[in-house]
Amino acid sequence: MTKEKTFSLIVDAVREILPELAGHDFADTDTLDALGANSMDRAEIVMTVLEEMDLDIPLVDTHGPQNLGELAQHLSDTAAVKAG
Amino acid sequence: MSDSAGLVVTGIGVTTAVGRGKADFTRALFAGEHRFAVMERPGRQSGTRFVGAELPAPVPSARLGARELRTASLTGQVALATLDEAWTEAGLDGYDPDRVGLVIGGSNLQQRELVLAHDRHRAKPHFLRPSYGLSYLDTDLCGLCTSAFGIRGLAHTVGGASASGQLAVIEAAEAVASGRVDVCVALGALADLSYWELLGLRAMGAMAGEDHADAPGDACRPFDKGRSGFVYGEACAALVIERRGARPEAPAPYARLSGWSVRLDGNRNPDPSLAGETAAIRQALDRAGLTARDIDYVNPHGTASPTGDTTEVAALKACGLTHAAVNATKSITGHGLTAAGAVEAAASLLQLRHGRLHPTRNLTEPVDDAPRWVREAAVEADIQHCLSLSMGFGGINTALCLSACAA
Repeated sequence: MTKEKTFSLIVDAVREILPELAGHDFADTDTLDALGANSMDRAEIVMTVLEEMDLDIPLVDTHGPQNLGELAQHLSDTAAVKAG
Repeated sequence: MSDSAGLVVTGIGVTTAVGRGKADFTRALFAGEHRFAVMERPGRQSGTRFVGAELPAPVPSARLGARELRTASLTGQVALATLDEAWTEAGLDGYDPDRVGLVIGGSNLQQRELVLAHDRHRAKPHFLRPSYGLSYLDTDLCGLCTSAFGIRGLAHTVGGASASGQLAVIEAAEAVASGRVDVCVALGALADLSYWELLGLRAMGAMAGEDHADAPGDACRPFDKGRSGFVYGEACAALVIERRGARPEAPAPYARLSGWSVRLDGNRNPDPSLAGETAAIRQALDRAGLTARDIDYVNPHGTASPTGDTTEVAALKACGLTHAAVNATKSITGHGLTAAGAVEAAASLLQLRHGRLHPTRNLTEPVDDAPRWVREAAVEADIQHCLSLSMGFGGINTALCLSACAA
């Protein structure tokens, strides 16, 4: 899955879990913290994206990326490696 | 015993299938309405046709943001809306949050939602939402409610099976009486059953319903010879308890909590106990400084259980309460299980305030002629002292005396 497609899935998940951001114009540099997500929201968002990607990895493996763009790149890369 | 003198109820919230909010609820009570039908909520049926009373769509509390609403269970949403009504009536906004408490009656409250979550993730459990780790706990309701209302004094759940709601009232009263908090809200939470619990209750012979699927309005018949068990009803109620006169801004109280009792049978089973029920009634009367003759009205547990109803009537007779008027709120609301004791305390308080007693639906052939039943129509009544009773599986008997406040 491309980084762009993954980013789109992340945006969909953020809008589902933080409905007050429905009209927000998301950018790669957005961070979940700055968007108002608490620890549970962040975990829910990432798990929602992992399910959409059918990517079975521990949540702890997603803790490195610092913003939405980095998270999209990381998940896209991880999915590619898992797919071989 | 702690001092129960001066504890009053200053706010009520009620959500039942027949009425959302106490104005609707009170009107439906006196009209003897019902909303029994074959239940349709997802997770309620599995090749079955269980009859019960389901709520209309809940109206979310304005205190809940869209983000919290997304993850709040039905039990949570109804708790918030019900608490909001009681809280607003009592005027608790702005009161010292460290001196306000919340006791939630009930355990295993969100079973249907858990079943739906299990079904959704059965084939892919590794994608179970992290929030499940929080939301499966009953105490998640404490978090939801205390964050929405800013409660800081205390919050916990109490489990007493079908006596949970009344046990919450008693625990909240004890919290105020002991000085732990100035104001405590007792909330009988909605017990959101799935088909699994309904199947279990049917298998044990406690529940009527499926055999009445073609005439759901006839299914719930407390104290009638034709009864065949309880009929489930979604419900929730909240009562604000405080010392009379402690807050100048508090509204006129509904009534005084004049006495209460919790007595155990030492019995794990669902069997009712005459000894346990009479002990609870007598202790509550003693604590209130009342005799049976002082009681004008009894709001009984009255589930329509074959042995439960006859045992309860025997307890009323043994305690000398046959002169008191008796009706059965569950004939109108269904059995709210964990919520029932709080809903019925609220019904008692509303009847006391309005000077009227609601009818008992389907009481066409009473199991006993001794109690002074209120049957097909509401009646006027000057109630000075009433008694509300709850019994739970596992031998839990509770009794609550409510007394009109002297001017």
